[in-house]
Amino acid sequence: MNQRADDVPGREALSRPFAPRADATAVRPSPHSWRERSETRSLYLLAAFLICAYALPFVVGAGAGTIRLDERWLANLATVVVGGVMQGGVYAMFAVGLTLIFGVMRIINAAHGEMVMMGAYLTWVSFFYLGVDPLLALVLTLPVAFLFGVAVQKVLLNAAVGAPELTGLLITFGLGLTMIYTAELIFTTDFRTIPYAPGTIQLTSTIAVGQNRVISFVMAVVISVGVYLFLKLSRLGKAVRATALNAEVAMVCGINVQRIYLITTGLAAALAVAGGALVSIQFGFNPETGVQYTLQAFAIIILGGRGDYVGALLGGLMLAVLENLVSLMVPSGTAMVELAAYGLMIFVLLIRPGGLMGVKEG
Amino acid sequence: MKRHEHLRNLALLAVVGLVLAFVPDTLNVYQRSFVLFTMMYVVLALSWNIISGFTGYTSFGHVAFYGIGAYACAILVADYGWHWLATLGAAAVVAGVVAVAIGYPVLRLKGPYFAIAMLGTAEGTRVIATVWDSLTHGGLGISLPSAETSFETYYAMLALMVVTIAVAYAIGHSRFGVRLNAIREDEGAAEALGVNATIYKLAAFVLSAIFPAVAGGIQAYKVLYIDPPSVFFVQITIAMALMSMLGGKGTVIGPIVGAVLLYTVQELTWVNFPTAHLIAYGLFIVVVARFMPRGLMGLAIDRGWVRKGMVH
Amino acid sequence: MKTRATETLVGALLALLVLGVVPAAAGHRANNEVLIGGAISQTGQYAEPAGRQVYSIKLWVDEVNGRGGLLGHRINLTLLDDKSDTQTAIKLYEKLITEDKVDLLLAPYSSGITEAVANVNERYKMPFVAYGAASTPIWEKGRKYIFNIVAVAEDYQKGAVHLAKQIGVKRAAVIGQDSLFPRQSGKGAKDWAKKLGIEIVVDENYPVKQTDFTALLQKISGAGAEAIFSNSYFADSAAQLRQMRELNLNFKLFSSTVGPGLPNFPEQLGPTAEYVLGFSQWEPLPKILKHPGMQDYIDRYEKRFHEKPNYHAGGAYGALQVTEAALKKAGSFDPEKLREALATIEVQTIFGHYKVDAKGMNTHEGITFQILKGQRRVVWPEKWAETKPELPVPAWSKR
Repeated sequence: MNQRADDVPGREALSRPFAPRADATAVRPSPHSWRERSETRSLYLLAAFLICAYALPFVVGAGAGTIRLDERWLANLATVVVGGVMQGGVYAMFAVGLTLIFGVMRIINAAHGEMVMMGAYLTWVSFFYLGVDPLLALVLTLPVAFLFGVAVQKVLLNAAVGAPELTGLLITFGLGLTMIYTAELIFTTDFRTIPYAPGTIQLTSTIAVGQNRVISFVMAVVISVGVYLFLKLSRLGKAVRATALNAEVAMVCGINVQRIYLITTGLAAALAVAGGALVSIQFGFNPETGVQYTLQAFAIIILGGRGDYVGALLGGLMLAVLENLVSLMVPSGTAMVELAAYGLMIFVLLIRPGGLMGVKEG
Repeated sequence: MKRHEHLRNLALLAVVGLVLAFVPDTLNVYQRSFVLFTMMYVVLALSWNIISGFTGYTSFGHVAFYGIGAYACAILVADYGWHWLATLGAAAVVAGVVAVAIGYPVLRLKGPYFAIAMLGTAEGTRVIATVWDSLTHGGLGISLPSAETSFETYYAMLALMVVTIAVAYAIGHSRFGVRLNAIREDEGAAEALGVNATIYKLAAFVLSAIFPAVAGGIQAYKVLYIDPPSVFFVQITIAMALMSMLGGKGTVIGPIVGAVLLYTVQELTWVNFPTAHLIAYGLFIVVVARFMPRGLMGLAIDRGWVRKGMVH
Repeated sequence: MKTRATETLVGALLALLVLGVVPAAAGHRANNEVLIGGAISQTGQYAEPAGRQVYSIKLWVDEVNGRGGLLGHRINLTLLDDKSDTQTAIKLYEKLITEDKVDLLLAPYSSGITEAVANVNERYKMPFVAYGAASTPIWEKGRKYIFNIVAVAEDYQKGAVHLAKQIGVKRAAVIGQDSLFPRQSGKGAKDWAKKLGIEIVVDENYPVKQTDFTALLQKISGAGAEAIFSNSYFADSAAQLRQMRELNLNFKLFSSTVGPGLPNFPEQLGPTAEYVLGFSQWEPLPKILKHPGMQDYIDRYEKRFHEKPNYHAGGAYGALQVTEAALKKAGSFDPEKLREALATIEVQTIFGHYKVDAKGMNTHEGITFQILKGQRRVVWPEKWAETKPELPVPAWSKR
């Protein structure tokens, strides 16, 4: 059976750049205009849903009296939104790597968080043992990560391309476990963190943001935009996008698809490791902290539109800001931030499996 | 398959059930627990197989139902004083209702989207179990009144396992099962031939949710303390999928073989070499998924050890 | 190719099987040996603190064997890994009791796992002294075979709340991870605050893996709290501190239950860890605590493991000393006699005084420390204070 053709409901056919056989399997003969209407409708629905999602913490907060429209509270709100944007940049870093692999090969990389964790440890080792600045260390770690990704693709993931989704999921999940426990063997489960740029930047007299947050955000933007330009402008990048759109056609056009797969996973691993470097200068981590990053990245790529690069960036920002709003305004809201991620993910899947950027890609 | 073959298989199941019913007296408590948990994983793998093996919808969040069952049992026993056997019925009902509510929208998704949506559902359920403090006691967990439960839970799990195997076997050999397979192979074509895919998928999903919920309930009464991370543990889902795949998903006997084999190997090894064997477990998952997607049953068929029809 | 790979795989499976059986078969004991066993998390979320207890256990076993064993028996130690998972822990304790038939049980780590395991050892009437569980509910169910040595969770913030009162804090926030132990210590913090007349303006739990506390900290500062009592482990308390600094939020006092007590906390956080208050069941400070034998224990621990013992290590060692004394009093490994001895005995250990009440709980007094110049310095209770606390904490901009 052809998994690649069967992965989204028929009415979303337009938003399926990876489904070469899409029309053949559609049961109802759907006139083009009907699909377009349905596309637009689902986009409106999604927009309406997102507005509700963002309004909800305000409504709940107003009901519970946690919102006070004085200057101090507004400063709190502004800080939280700024913080969310900073955090969102890092989320986006996680998500773009995941979305690349998913877009090109339709594989869900369940080991993505462990690759992030690997990045955090590589950075930590270079900082504490070699005395290298965490950002400078990227020069060292990114090539290593790229090669790691290439090896993973060559040995493991090539077998999962075109196979039922369970194959890829299990392979990468197993890989993730192996990475976690290998790291435990080497580094123990003690938590690590890098005390880097711990100071503050005062935006106004009441709104502040952490130096390392800003540095992370800038790095995330620079790297993501760099990769975006690579995909958009370079010959190789165009080949990657072509493969994502339709591997068979790409092959016919003379693109070495196997090589593109290797480059994609290498790139994704490098992006994850770069994300890990940013984690290491902000948060504590140990071998087991990777899992949560995988889950967050799942939510983001669903929100943004599977395989869509810009969607992943947008999704990262939106999720982080929403999480912060919930935490600030809802009573006992911090316990519920995870619900924001999973709720968004499930509702977006139901309303519009193609996500925010579904149409644009198609 | 011929009628006498069905009778033979039924007899085989009865014999296994009877043997397992008579052994617990000869086992020590630990061995009893070991057999109990092995049977539990048979139930889990077989149930997962109904929706993911027969019907082709890979659920990556089936632990949600197991956790819901565990919580239903624990809450009703600890806070409402029910008899624990009665709570198992409640666990099945709650899981069934939740399965309909989740399944109806989520089963419209296919392939990786369904897998991710189920993962999100399982994690979301865990968060709800943590946040809904007044019902679940949140992160404090629930402690059940201490009791010697190793015999009762053993027999309950045995009964559940026999029922699950019987149901899975019946599905595998009925028109219902054939239709599920048709949906797996080509949903569009199945619908064109008049199979109401929505209803069939939902039925399969509900069936595959009920048994894990009851297993979770029995488990809660066995362990006597549950909290959200322990009963909504992602690795339980992975185990269901891996065991089915190891034995051969989409068959009846495959998940049984996979569950017994994998659980035994784990038990014998993990305990003695903590970190090294978790690494080995990770590698093992990779190897199974990478090199034998059709599982041991696939191998057996390729080698001509069994006839193709027999493995169902 | 495909079938060859599958055959290799089946072979690998069998190899694993054999590997697993070998040590099990080798574990058979000789006549003059006693088998002591326990399951402690060596992997998973509890591996870090539990690992320090494993160090102490190994130290104690070698030492006892060095001086002729327990009641003349050489100790054969079986330590299993519960993967920080409750279900596994239950099964392993059943294995230890009914299959390996150990003569003496060791306790697991963490309140949650201990709560579950307590049902098992209670059923088989095998007593142990818990060194890794501080949540009172465990001892409120009429259990007879579990004893505690450490201070209860509810007292983890006691010192910090008293210090907050001393510097005139009127409003405070109680936050913590949403699991059994942090919630109990949070409950204790709220009770102490109520007693001392400090108003709790924010009371929130957060998910176990939360890393971004920007919004929660804003909420706390928005509510006008002057102090934070955080019931947290390493990652969360580190993140809270760092983000307070990043956001330039100044509180008069920040106290965290577990994180700052871990050996690498000041080292990994650098100057950001300064002035934080933490709780400790015990500190390796023989000159101040004056428990007998401390110096000797600390020296031996440090020599072997190249770090100073923390309170997890100290507590485990103290519990083992209690067990040893109780065994001597009981004169045999008979679980009933041992239980009787553990319930009545009074012992001075390197960890402190042990004498349990009717529930099986010890009244251990913990200490509150402050990280000053990268060192943990005891600041409360006053009888043990090494130095005066530097409170209120100086603003981030003045450091």
